[in-house]
Amino acid sequence: MGLREDLNSFYMLVLWDLSQMKRRTVFVVMRISWFVLQVTIFGLAMNAMVRFRGIVAQGIDYYHFYLFGVYSSMLFSISVSKAYDVAEEFEEGMIEYLLSLPIKRKVLALGRSVGGGLAAFLFTVPMFLVIFVLLGSFEPLAMLISILAALVFSVGVTGFVISVVLSLKSSDTTDIFFGVLDALIIRLSTVFYPAVIIAKIAPYYYASLVNPVSHFVDLLRTLFFFEEFKTIAVADPYLMMAYLFGFAAGVASLAIYIVERRVEGGGWK
Amino acid sequence: MYEIIMGNVAVKIKDFVKTFGQTVAVDGLNLEIYEGEIFGLLGPNGSGKTTTLLTTATIYKPTSGDIYVHGYSVSRQGDIVRRYVGIAFQEPKALWIDNPYELLIWHARVVGYSSSEAKQVVRDVMEQLDLWEHRKKQFYQLSGGTRKKLEIAKVLIQRPKVAIFDEPTAQVDVLTKHKLWDVIRGLKAEGTTIIVATNDMFEAEKICERIGIIYKGRLRALGTISELKDMVPQGDVIEIAFDGPEEQVKKIISTFPEIGHFTIADHKARMFLNKGEEKAVSIVQALASSGIKVRKIMIQEPTLDDVFFYFTGARLREEHGAA
Repeated sequence: MGLREDLNSFYMLVLWDLSQMKRRTVFVVMRISWFVLQVTIFGLAMNAMVRFRGIVAQGIDYYHFYLFGVYSSMLFSISVSKAYDVAEEFEEGMIEYLLSLPIKRKVLALGRSVGGGLAAFLFTVPMFLVIFVLLGSFEPLAMLISILAALVFSVGVTGFVISVVLSLKSSDTTDIFFGVLDALIIRLSTVFYPAVIIAKIAPYYYASLVNPVSHFVDLLRTLFFFEEFKTIAVADPYLMMAYLFGFAAGVASLAIYIVERRVEGGGWK
Repeated sequence: MYEIIMGNVAVKIKDFVKTFGQTVAVDGLNLEIYEGEIFGLLGPNGSGKTTTLLTTATIYKPTSGDIYVHGYSVSRQGDIVRRYVGIAFQEPKALWIDNPYELLIWHARVVGYSSSEAKQVVRDVMEQLDLWEHRKKQFYQLSGGTRKKLEIAKVLIQRPKVAIFDEPTAQVDVLTKHKLWDVIRGLKAEGTTIIVATNDMFEAEKICERIGIIYKGRLRALGTISELKDMVPQGDVIEIAFDGPEEQVKKIISTFPEIGHFTIADHKARMFLNKGEEKAVSIVQALASSGIKVRKIMIQEPTLDDVFFYFTGARLREEHGAA
């Protein structure tokens, strides 16, 4: 199989995941509704309660910080929800069909990771646009990089999810694992609290430092409000970007390894 | 009848073992399937047929041993093997994703057709299988037979060198069955090597040139249908109605050592032997030369059911010490 065939397979797998989006309309409508509630009622209420002065520059309040946090958690949750799709596919024998096709295993792993990540990102595009509007920020370069970062992040998370689901091979374990993971990863990050605040609790702080969600959300914040947020981010913007790419490349490699070496049909519990 | 030409080996199964936890699904299977033949894999449920087929299609990995498709190892060269193999699953897959047309278009694109070619080939195959009218239906609206046809359509679109059909006509009506058999024969005519797993003896007799009987993960018998029938000890039955003394007939029949056992009653002799069609002439000649008038002769060979039972059921009793 040459490069042309591989690219065609990759493209078709991405299309496959995108074509699944319509099956999840209800799920996404619910998430969007929850997002709207969070950025309006909860966000504004919390902004009234949280004193942000002394942490970042004047003119920036907790609401600015919170908006990116909500978006990041949404993107993470929607990417993680791919786990349930993959589990369902396994249960229904879909994986056996995909494994039988004339597609290289590494292309299969990459295609599904990128397709799933892209689908998750597209689900959140309306939320991203709402944030731009709420912030009143339309800096083209910042928007472009943030979109790219969101894509890389969701592809990474989806690759991780696929690797784990295909290793667990159990719908019950998948439900429990990702339920706990979704809750833990968001909480052990800088999604809702800045690194300087959580630094007082060492385990929490160090967990957030290695958490890709922290790097993603803080990268978004510094992209739009560099001067205001650079001092409270988990790392330098370039480091955060490198971390995100490393995370995506790492989990994509893991997904390739698992799909190439371990995955086979049947045996789903 | 088919002519069997032992050509190049398309699929070679060598010391293949597959276990799932403590369960041994296939236990040291050795088998060669030749290019361009229709090979039937017969066995009761749980005998290891589907496991063997799914491993050939690289969906399972061998626990030990290997399967080679056109010389390429399923274990080590799966990416290449998948270019040669197409499979129609026992249970239709992926049909809930979209309507049949969209699914087959996606399938066609994945197996290498361009967008315009895909539309054409999908239409051709759907029309060939009388699926065109169902193209926009949802999965739950399709009958079992239609779903089976869709599964087979994927293989027809792919046109692989080795086509695998896992119980292709299970739960389909007689008309559809015959249609699908014709389709499978058509693929063979184009040079495709075909492997069919089936429990349906009639189907095996209708379309398969050689058959392997698999039971408890092991190959119990292999050959053409007539070879397998000959393997059943005293499987043929010759029944001769005659006029003359029964004692004399008994003496004459006893002179044929190849007749395993026989019964005589009401001027009818029933003889159990192998290759009955070859022996019948000499038996009749012996009777006639002794003045016995043969009124009627009937030769009955074992059915594939008998063969299947002999190689699976009979052995089952032996293994349990009940035979």
